[in-house]
Amino acid sequence: METVINDYVSRELVQDQALLPLADDTSLLETGVLDSLSLLRLVVFLEERFRIGVGDADLLPDNFASVNAICAYVRAREAQKQEATHG
Amino acid sequence: MAYLLQHLLTEAAARRPQRPAVASGGSELSYSELDRQSTKVARALLRRGVEPGDRVAILVSKSATAVIGLYGALKAGACYVPLDTKAPAERLGYVVRDCAAAVIIADDSTAAQAAVLADGVPGSRGVLLPSAPEVADELDEPFDEDRAIETDLAYILYTSGSTGTPKGVMISHRNSLTFVEWAAAAARLTEQDRVCSPAPLHFDLSVFDVFASCRADACMAVLPDGTATFPVSIARWMESAQISVWYSVPSVLTLLACYGGLPNFDLSHLHTVIFAGEVFPPKYLAKLMAELPNARYLNWYGPTETNVCTAFEISADGADDATPAPIGKACANTEVFAVATDGSRVSEPGEEGELYARGPSLMQGYWGQPAKTHEVLVVNPFQASRDELVYRTGDLVTLDPDGNYVYIGRRDSMVKIRGYRVELGEVETALYRHPGIKEAAVLPVSDELLGSRLRAVITANQGSDLTRENVMDHCRQWLPGYMVPDVIDFREALPRTSTGKVDRAGLARE
Repeated sequence: METVINDYVSRELVQDQALLPLADDTSLLETGVLDSLSLLRLVVFLEERFRIGVGDADLLPDNFASVNAICAYVRAREAQKQEATHG
Repeated sequence: MAYLLQHLLTEAAARRPQRPAVASGGSELSYSELDRQSTKVARALLRRGVEPGDRVAILVSKSATAVIGLYGALKAGACYVPLDTKAPAERLGYVVRDCAAAVIIADDSTAAQAAVLADGVPGSRGVLLPSAPEVADELDEPFDEDRAIETDLAYILYTSGSTGTPKGVMISHRNSLTFVEWAAAAARLTEQDRVCSPAPLHFDLSVFDVFASCRADACMAVLPDGTATFPVSIARWMESAQISVWYSVPSVLTLLACYGGLPNFDLSHLHTVIFAGEVFPPKYLAKLMAELPNARYLNWYGPTETNVCTAFEISADGADDATPAPIGKACANTEVFAVATDGSRVSEPGEEGELYARGPSLMQGYWGQPAKTHEVLVVNPFQASRDELVYRTGDLVTLDPDGNYVYIGRRDSMVKIRGYRVELGEVETALYRHPGIKEAAVLPVSDELLGSRLRAVITANQGSDLTRENVMDHCRQWLPGYMVPDVIDFREALPRTSTGKVDRAGLARE
């Protein structure tokens, strides 16, 4: 999952080539990779690729601070989805 | 009587010295402190040799320091030029050389960059930090602030130019005050208000929160850096900062309505929401009004060259999710009219024409570009014997049955990206600077949520090894982020019309 998300962010969202290759713990906020526009593109990608729903309340800096943070968030959403299906 | 912008500050400081003028970065600056500190900056500028009419550039993002700096420049009799702190060095270099900035005001985070820029300006008197000891040591006494008259320039705002370089819109004290006086009344500002516009200082929306707040002894609140990325963070901050008046481009409000989780926050202080810069998609405006039903909603219209020249208040039951809000009727002390292609004045609902504006809010012209100025500041076609100049907006409008103007589109190739004006020609000029690019056409792509994005269609010179990454990298050297195309399409050749021109309509239909 880290690779998939890192590839997407590197290919579609990073504009400053000096940031590449992108480390999974690089801050996407301090480096300006994420702004209101790129955040929404990323959300659409995550929703389609991982078949999760990203709610308004989840659009928080903690969930999108880095590739690692995004993966942790997606895993948590996937686990919730599993519980909803089986539980 | 306030006839210079800095009079707004001295009057507010005399009336309500202890009220907060600027809330920024977790602290508040009172009107008396703002007045004192900006006078010290003015003294320091005079000591550097700044003279009335000189340009003082401001390389500080919106903050208490930036406001101290711009009032300091005005009190010194200079005109300030706010710079986009996020713009590439090439573009900033062009702007400071074009306006021959006498001094660049900076803060700790921009001082090094400002020094490099100042080196590129012949005759520059260097960089000044409002926090520097040389400012703190200045005399703390009243000072003759009337070093200008109302027709002198107060500021120059650089905006996209179709021939490839930005052009500087010159605004006098009178031009700005005409808008500020009207705006403070139209938004019903009082000293209790906390006013926020996320627009940076080089964008003319910020004239409202900087000066209209001061006109009403209200507080200008600065959205913290980075907050704008997350709509929920904006909503949370608006709650904690008790924002009562908001002014932004519609795309920020669309994001708030769709992703801000507004019902979770107490935004009961918010009594007025104002938007300008582009058309607010009606379905998102209706959603916003449903989520925040207690605020007034105002649609303001006007290119940088006219300040705001028309306004429309959307009534609570008037939010129709299919029809965009009209731009309305002329502001106080302003007249607008539309001229049809046959030269007649538009007077009946449904007729179309180009919108013209007249009044004391019109700019003085484009800095150093009289020919360009004369293309848009023209003799009033209906008052030719008076030789009065009016502004041609380039915007096509019609009238509705209530006498409100309704925006239809542009008559040229300017588009709006998140409220910023972008001349497609400027983006194409930047692309042509790349040695590997043979041909380029830039088109707007409509985006459901955010209005428009840019798409570049490119053909490469033989043997060049172009990639999306190196084209974007190149663009970022020359253009601010909002002008960099999101989509890059490579082609063998650009489609042509029968007359040999690039077939833009055909590309747009793809």
